Amino acid sequence: MEFLGSSECNLGILETLSDDAIQEITESYDGFFTTVESLIAGAGDSSVEQELVSHVYTLCKHGLDSLVRDHFLRSLEQAFEKSGASSFWHHFDAYSEKKHNDYGDEIQEVLCKALEEISIEKQYHEKCLSIVVHAMQSFKEESSEDTQNADAERVQLFARFRSMLSSTLMTTLPQHFPEILHWYFKEKLEELSAIMDEDDIAKQESDCMDLDEKLRSKNGEMDVDEGYSRHEGLVKNIGKVVRDLRSIGFTSMAENAYASAIFLLLKAKVHDLAGDDYRTSVLGSIKEWIQTVPLQFLNALLSYLGDSVNYGTTSSGLTSPLACCPSPSLSKVVTPSEGIVRWKLRLEYFAYETLQDLRIAKLFEIIVDYPESSPAIEDLKQCLEYTGQHSKLVESFISSLKYRLLTAGASTIDILHQYVSTIKALRAIDPAGVFLEAVGEPIRDYLRGRKDTIKCIVTMLTDGSGGNANGSGNPGDSLLEELMRDEESQENVGFDDDFHTDDKQAWINASRWEPDPVEADPLKGSLSQRKVDILGMLVDIIGSKEQLVNEYRVMLAEKLLNKTDYDIDTEIRTVELLKIHFGEASMQRCEIMLNDLIDSKRVNTNIKKASQTGAELAENELSVDILTSTILSTNFWPPIQDEPLELPGPIDKLLSDYANRYHEIKTPRKLLWKKNLGSVKLELQFEDRAMQFTVSPTHAAIIMQFQEKKSWTSIDLAAAIGIPTDALNRRVNFWISKGVLRESRGTDSNGSVYTLVESITDSGKNESEELLAGDEENEGSIASVEDQLRKEMTIYEKFIMGMLTNFGSMALERIHNTLKMFCVADPSYDKSLQQLQSFLSGLVSEEKLEFRDGMYLLKK
Amino acid sequence: MAAVNGYQGNTPAETTPAATGSKQPAPPSKTVDSQSVLKRLQSELMGLMMGGDPGISAFPEEDNIFCWKGTITGSKDTVFEGTEYRLSLSFSNDYPFKPPKVKFETCCFHPNVDLYGNICLDILQDKWSSAYDVRTILLSIQSLLGEPNISSPLNNQAAQLWSNQEEYRKMVKKLYKPLNA
Repeated sequence: MEFLGSSECNLGILETLSDDAIQEITESYDGFFTTVESLIAGAGDSSVEQELVSHVYTLCKHGLDSLVRDHFLRSLEQAFEKSGASSFWHHFDAYSEKKHNDYGDEIQEVLCKALEEISIEKQYHEKCLSIVVHAMQSFKEESSEDTQNADAERVQLFARFRSMLSSTLMTTLPQHFPEILHWYFKEKLEELSAIMDEDDIAKQESDCMDLDEKLRSKNGEMDVDEGYSRHEGLVKNIGKVVRDLRSIGFTSMAENAYASAIFLLLKAKVHDLAGDDYRTSVLGSIKEWIQTVPLQFLNALLSYLGDSVNYGTTSSGLTSPLACCPSPSLSKVVTPSEGIVRWKLRLEYFAYETLQDLRIAKLFEIIVDYPESSPAIEDLKQCLEYTGQHSKLVESFISSLKYRLLTAGASTIDILHQYVSTIKALRAIDPAGVFLEAVGEPIRDYLRGRKDTIKCIVTMLTDGSGGNANGSGNPGDSLLEELMRDEESQENVGFDDDFHTDDKQAWINASRWEPDPVEADPLKGSLSQRKVDILGMLVDIIGSKEQLVNEYRVMLAEKLLNKTDYDIDTEIRTVELLKIHFGEASMQRCEIMLNDLIDSKRVNTNIKKASQTGAELAENELSVDILTSTILSTNFWPPIQDEPLELPGPIDKLLSDYANRYHEIKTPRKLLWKKNLGSVKLELQFEDRAMQFTVSPTHAAIIMQFQEKKSWTSIDLAAAIGIPTDALNRRVNFWISKGVLRESRGTDSNGSVYTLVESITDSGKNESEELLAGDEENEGSIASVEDQLRKEMTIYEKFIMGMLTNFGSMALERIHNTLKMFCVADPSYDKSLQQLQSFLSGLVSEEKLEFRDGMYLLKK
Repeated sequence: MAAVNGYQGNTPAETTPAATGSKQPAPPSKTVDSQSVLKRLQSELMGLMMGGDPGISAFPEEDNIFCWKGTITGSKDTVFEGTEYRLSLSFSNDYPFKPPKVKFETCCFHPNVDLYGNICLDILQDKWSSAYDVRTILLSIQSLLGEPNISSPLNNQAAQLWSNQEEYRKMVKKLYKPLNA
């Protein structure tokens, strides 16, 4: 076939040839064939070579050099396919069925041996090729052709040979071979890494060595040396394998294999180092590890293969892989080759990405123990700066939030803590707050649906003041800290404004400007507006600062009313801080409340002074000294729960005397007592003991009735105190639980009898502790914000019912707008959409309304 | 001026009559009147909402307080028991000196209601007084359902059938289409 093909091409030449010439060609052609065959088979000696050369000469003389080349290569290919490739693959046949973890150690030897064999085979073939090429070249030289041309031809011929070789191997490549290679490199690298680790330990040991232990130190150094030599041998081994693989054209496959092995090892290392401990930064040690293990390996490998060009210039020597010093400080001296730099970047990027993925997956836990886990956050920040995969963080974190935090089981305070920690943590990662925006949104949405959100936020805001006393506490608890921080920053802003550095400042700001990350939502304002402000974000949950202030007012009122002294320093501080944040106007009522307390203190002392100048106290009268009052400007306080209460005679007289004196001092003002509010400190003296309590006036009134009479029926007692029987029963329970009273079935069917327990032996209980009644009974004296809101909303409920009756079904927006439009009379509609929504969902749960496809309709 | 605009154009701004009523569907002849009508309707709405009369209800349509939708339910122990009818009420700028135009929006088989929903009721025509309001209108219509005026029918078939209450009830049921917004 080939002969036909080439003779066709040379048909023109054939016609000009004489018979002799044809004869000569055929003879030498036949000779060429046989000699080539014997040469490649390796049977021939120098005589065969001679013969071949002479045949080549003859054929070339007749211009059949292309025929010579083609045929020779073809023969080589056939020979290689028959012996080289198949025998090479045959080595690995045994492993085709095995899983990669079943490969024994012998595979390393097999691989080395196979590579060696095929290299020898290849070298021999190259030698044969060079003989032919040489013959052709020397012919050309004789016929005085251009030698440069011949050189190029030679190079081309060898390239053809190599590509033919590798394509032969590639086409017969068994599937499991890359796997084997991968496995091989992995094993080797692990071995290397283990050696390095040992070295590290050994080095550390020798570093810590005392001078006295010189002997041991020597041993240590010897160990290290041993490690180095092992390391060197290993790298040489691997280098040889890689070189052999390259020589048979598997460059990229080999590179893939060791790259993937390195990455695998790196990944395992990152996972190993990072683990579940967020309290230490691991990025540094990962980088160091990259420097010591894989980079050194690569450095040694590349230099062994001769790729590292710059490397040779160092004094450490040209060929020895030992020149790559194991200590990182020394290896830095070596100018790294471009290949190494590229590898370093690749490895670092991979390490960053792996660590980032690892941290992002655990971000929820990291944020849970935020202040402690800040090293992990810092790591993550660096990783993200490098990889820029912020969106991955956002997605993953949101999904874990939804799955783990925003569920019915999580308490609102926990969610808020997590939210605050999230804000703080993400602020560290992303000062612009763009990703916070995205992550915070689901939390905010969820919190809006919770009823106690406002209350929790206000508690978090105000409780910080007392938190300092009981140690550090949970740092997330105190938002007061935030208030103060904010104050500082605002002051700083003011400072800047005062300074005459406008131009300068503007220039600094301008030069500091960075574009928003691409993920930023342009609708949500630019960088400057998106200042991360925890309080602002919390207020954002509630919807308006008014609501927050309102809730705070209720809480403040409760606090102030429960005070027995006039010490309101912490409250004043909190209000001042809130004023800075929310503005004077919105905190005005709170200010008045505080002022009421300050005034009360003054008035109280005045009245007491006035009373001292008065007449002597009668026998049964009580000194006004035991009374302190809090005088409220009712209009500015939240609605106060009123409950009728008849106080015992002497107390009542005391109160009215006090009120009269107030009237004298402050005419025309009059004092109206809220008798059920406040607290009473009292001591009960029994036959065998005395007990002290701080209780509500109602409790005190109850127990005082027992001064006169040891036993009361519930109905009589309720009448005497002027409260309903059920309310009485509830409160009497306090005294029963303290062992002061005892309950027994009365003669009447509808009432029980309470008897005083005079002696402790009667009850058999041992009560010694002193308790605050307020702790047990958690009914506030102030109507809660929700109650107020509900009261207001009932007016709107009628409107809502009216419009739904006439319009069938309406969407939230439309109800909101309609209320705004038509509910303009006395309690004009001023609620936010969120408030309306929560109110409507309340009506839905009361089965007054139905909510279907985003529309509200009357429940029929 | 700014303050005037702030009132959404409903302010009685004598100096700028042209500026007012821009958002009202029917331009009022006298702005002062329009304002008082508005007030009156608002207070009527409030009264109606707080009054809570059973079986009658009305509410202004979105963004126009001159057009209301009303709902009445048939009184107990009448042939209209268990039915619900939608009405439309449209007030003029002369309200309450002129009665509003009241029509049935849903089909009502009644001697004094024609096929187009027009109602023949004296207080909605010549017997109107400014003392009446939306509530009394709705209550009157509700009682008209149970006590039609057979002598001046708009729907003769209904008037003839009225004497046979059993048949009439069936007819009402047959023609009744429940409201579903």
